[in-house]
Amino acid sequence: MPSTGKLRVIRRVNLLISAALLAIATISPAFAGWGMPDPITDQAKRIQDLWVFTLIIALAVFFAVEGALLYAIIRYRKRGDELPKQTHGSTALEIVWTSIPVLIVIALFSYSFIVLRDVEKKAPEDALSVDVTGFQFSWEFVYSLNDLGTNTDPNADGQISIIGTAAQEPTLVIPVGEPVEFRLKSNDVIHAFYVPNFHYKLDVVPGRDNRFVITANETGEFTGSVRSCAG
Amino acid sequence: MASHAVATQHKQGLSNGMLGFILFLASEVMFFGGLFAAYFIARADAREWPPEYLLTPEQVASGVKLEVEFWLPFIATILLVLSSVTIQFAVFSIQRGNRSGLIRWTFVSIVLGLVFLVMQVYDYSQLHFGVGDTIYGTTFYTMTGFHGLHVAGGVIFMGIILARSLAGQFTAANHEAVEACSFYWHFVDVVWIALFTTLYIIP
Amino acid sequence: MTSIAIPRPAYAERPWILDWLMTVDHKKLGILYLYTTMFFFAVGGILALLVRTQLAVADNTFVNNDAYNQIFTMHASAMLFLFIIPVWAGFGNYIVPLQIGAADMAFPRINALSFWLIPPAGLLMFSGFLFGGAADAGWTAYSPLARGSGVGLDLWIISVIILGVSSTIGAANFMVTMFRMRAPGMTMFRMPIFCWTMLVTAVLQLLATPVLASALAMLYIDRNFGGSFFDPNGGGNAILWQNIFWFYSHPAVYIMILPGMGIISEVLPVFARKPLFGYKAFVFATMGIGGLGFSVWAHHMFTTGAVLKPWFGFMTFMIGVPTGVKMFNWLGTLWRGSITFEAPMLFALGFLSMFLIGGINGTFSAAVPVDFAIHDTYFVVAHIHYVLFGGAVFAVFAGLYYWFPKIWGRRLDERLARIHFALQFIGFNLAFFPMHLLGLDGMPRRIATYSESSGWETLNLISTIGAFLIGVAMIPFIINVVMAFLRPKDQPNDPWEANTLEWWTTSPPPVHNFDSLPEVHSERPLWDLRHGKTAH
Repeated sequence: MPSTGKLRVIRRVNLLISAALLAIATISPAFAGWGMPDPITDQAKRIQDLWVFTLIIALAVFFAVEGALLYAIIRYRKRGDELPKQTHGSTALEIVWTSIPVLIVIALFSYSFIVLRDVEKKAPEDALSVDVTGFQFSWEFVYSLNDLGTNTDPNADGQISIIGTAAQEPTLVIPVGEPVEFRLKSNDVIHAFYVPNFHYKLDVVPGRDNRFVITANETGEFTGSVRSCAG
Repeated sequence: MASHAVATQHKQGLSNGMLGFILFLASEVMFFGGLFAAYFIARADAREWPPEYLLTPEQVASGVKLEVEFWLPFIATILLVLSSVTIQFAVFSIQRGNRSGLIRWTFVSIVLGLVFLVMQVYDYSQLHFGVGDTIYGTTFYTMTGFHGLHVAGGVIFMGIILARSLAGQFTAANHEAVEACSFYWHFVDVVWIALFTTLYIIP
Repeated sequence: MTSIAIPRPAYAERPWILDWLMTVDHKKLGILYLYTTMFFFAVGGILALLVRTQLAVADNTFVNNDAYNQIFTMHASAMLFLFIIPVWAGFGNYIVPLQIGAADMAFPRINALSFWLIPPAGLLMFSGFLFGGAADAGWTAYSPLARGSGVGLDLWIISVIILGVSSTIGAANFMVTMFRMRAPGMTMFRMPIFCWTMLVTAVLQLLATPVLASALAMLYIDRNFGGSFFDPNGGGNAILWQNIFWFYSHPAVYIMILPGMGIISEVLPVFARKPLFGYKAFVFATMGIGGLGFSVWAHHMFTTGAVLKPWFGFMTFMIGVPTGVKMFNWLGTLWRGSITFEAPMLFALGFLSMFLIGGINGTFSAAVPVDFAIHDTYFVVAHIHYVLFGGAVFAVFAGLYYWFPKIWGRRLDERLARIHFALQFIGFNLAFFPMHLLGLDGMPRRIATYSESSGWETLNLISTIGAFLIGVAMIPFIINVVMAFLRPKDQPNDPWEANTLEWWTTSPPPVHNFDSLPEVHSERPLWDLRHGKTAH
């Protein structure tokens, strides 16, 4: 017969796991945007949708498996000296539970593939482009005034360069509602250009021409992060 | 209830030692695989090969030229292939119980290996670029250098085999170390053929 | 069946210290491995506490940037290269020959060499602190950053190459041992599942570690002889390092977790009193993970813009399939069992519940656009710790509690073990769950501090409290071990009523391991003896 000590353990395991479940259940929706910062670009919105889709599947899998585990722990704890039936496996079950993850994988992959294609669409010819140079430990932004289009004085000419320092972060202002292309380059180590509200990050690699496009849809001031370690 | 004694080595097929040695060689293949991968990625990145356009004016002024000489390494290659044949003769000899043949052919293989090393060092001294002169120099010296270390290791290995042969330790039934040594030497040879083809012929 | 006399080497009497230094006995070497790796686990843990102390509050100045870079680099390096990878070699050394009914490993002296490379390599890596600073470029040592770092990084490179040699020759040793030295009747598909996971791990080590060695050699040449492997100005390629490094290091993640899965698969059947559900499916899933492990390395590099994203994303999702099969098989093992909750089982169940999270939160990085958001943030730090702490470390403790009676002849106290488990379980989740949220909110990994305006302070403080709770959890464990050593050896051959051959011999086993072996008809020879052979 199970001793009281063993029962106590069972309860403690239950308690711990349900506490963890509870924590996850309460924290997740409590954060707006399902844990992600506000998306401020069209691309970020798509990425956030994919995040939510993946998260829902992940939570479903988590609760199903963790629930089954808890059920097994409680229901099948030792009650007597009788040996349980010695089942060695089941080919049918193996096929079933190989297929389930395969189906989930296909669903997740298909959706993420579509989103990937959309967020990596190339910029139109006339899009504003910003040359971004990463150095230790800040950024330089360069763009041509000619590209600014309708939002600015059409007579303005020349280039604007904004250089930051480690202490003073550079501020880049971009127009809302039209695509902007960022061209990243580095002369020293690998950096990553990352603005959390873009939900996007691209490495700035010496010797590579990495580009990405965003279309901002919200005004405001957003902080990016300088990464010089890239790991 | 029947009891068994503890399992001892299975006698059929490869011995444990040879199996372990072949696994070791597999790991060596992966090591050189990493170096070859680096080389081919560099070539794929380069606009032209050898990448003369990467040389700085200072490097050009100091006489750096990214080119290798063909004939000396070619002769060295033939000698190395020959040494692979001679070490195999050493194995054949001891398989028939011919100890003096083993000693003779092992000795010849060692000499050929040493000549290869001397030629490689001489070849290095004739080149007009160093390990720091673009990715060309870096990959060239790294790959041939690591191979050269393996040749040196093989010569030492054969030296041990020669010493043990002179001490009469090998027989027709017991000469596993000789076979392991020949495996290693063939491996070194095959790597060199791949290196020679890649570094000296493809450009 | 006739019994053959077992050849027993005559051991000359040696002082015990020389006996330990010169031993080629797989059991003594296994114990040396375990002591050494647990030592580095403690060192890595202290470094982790320094990291968490620095991050506990915003704008902290507990350590400066340079010191912080060294601390997190050495924390990861110690935990990965000096703790997790060799700790499996330690368990494998002690257990594999016993489980397959062999008298020793195939190459005892090479085995001793594998072990004795580790302590000097560890000292070498840490000696950087004496020579102007240890390695500080992260355990991934990304170039070009790593090309310009101090001498500590050279020591790090040499140390990791030595450790690589140790695990490569160790891998060959394990493979030959398992291919050639199994007991009569033990076919490959009757081999205990822990052996199978060690075998697949050995294959990964044998094929992947030399590739890392080649990358490290290139980095060393770049740093010391003016090479340009990773320097675009000399025609090199900055991404090349990442490609070669992850070609090793992704399989290395499975090197770090597969033997842990093996231990769990030994423990669950014993304490659920049922065979492992779907033994063969489990073996194939292990091979599948090993094989897929070589085709997903670039999922660490989606944001470089230099890799084929859909392909590597798909292959990464696919890893979830064999992992899912394993999870279901573990549940199938528990299902309709007769479960008791001794210490090894507690940690095994802890593994199941936490590794599940580590599996699930990894899929987010396979969804490439989501990875753009979470790459290089604390989300990834949460993921790696749910896999390697929630997975591997829980499995290490399951293994220690499970085999302690066999290895040291004494049983660890159950009450202290439960306290240890509860503290570690709570501390672990407190420490690492908040990192998901921090990462989503954009907190980059490896930053030495953050500003108050970021709003990350509360979660970081919770995480730090959790980390210290993990530290506290080690106290009952250490007390438990010390108290056990003070008691006499009193354990029977098979205190758990287990299934595999290591429980057939005495606890601890004699130098030659076995006086005799039972016939092996299934993967559970001892169960068959106790209960009669069960139908398959």
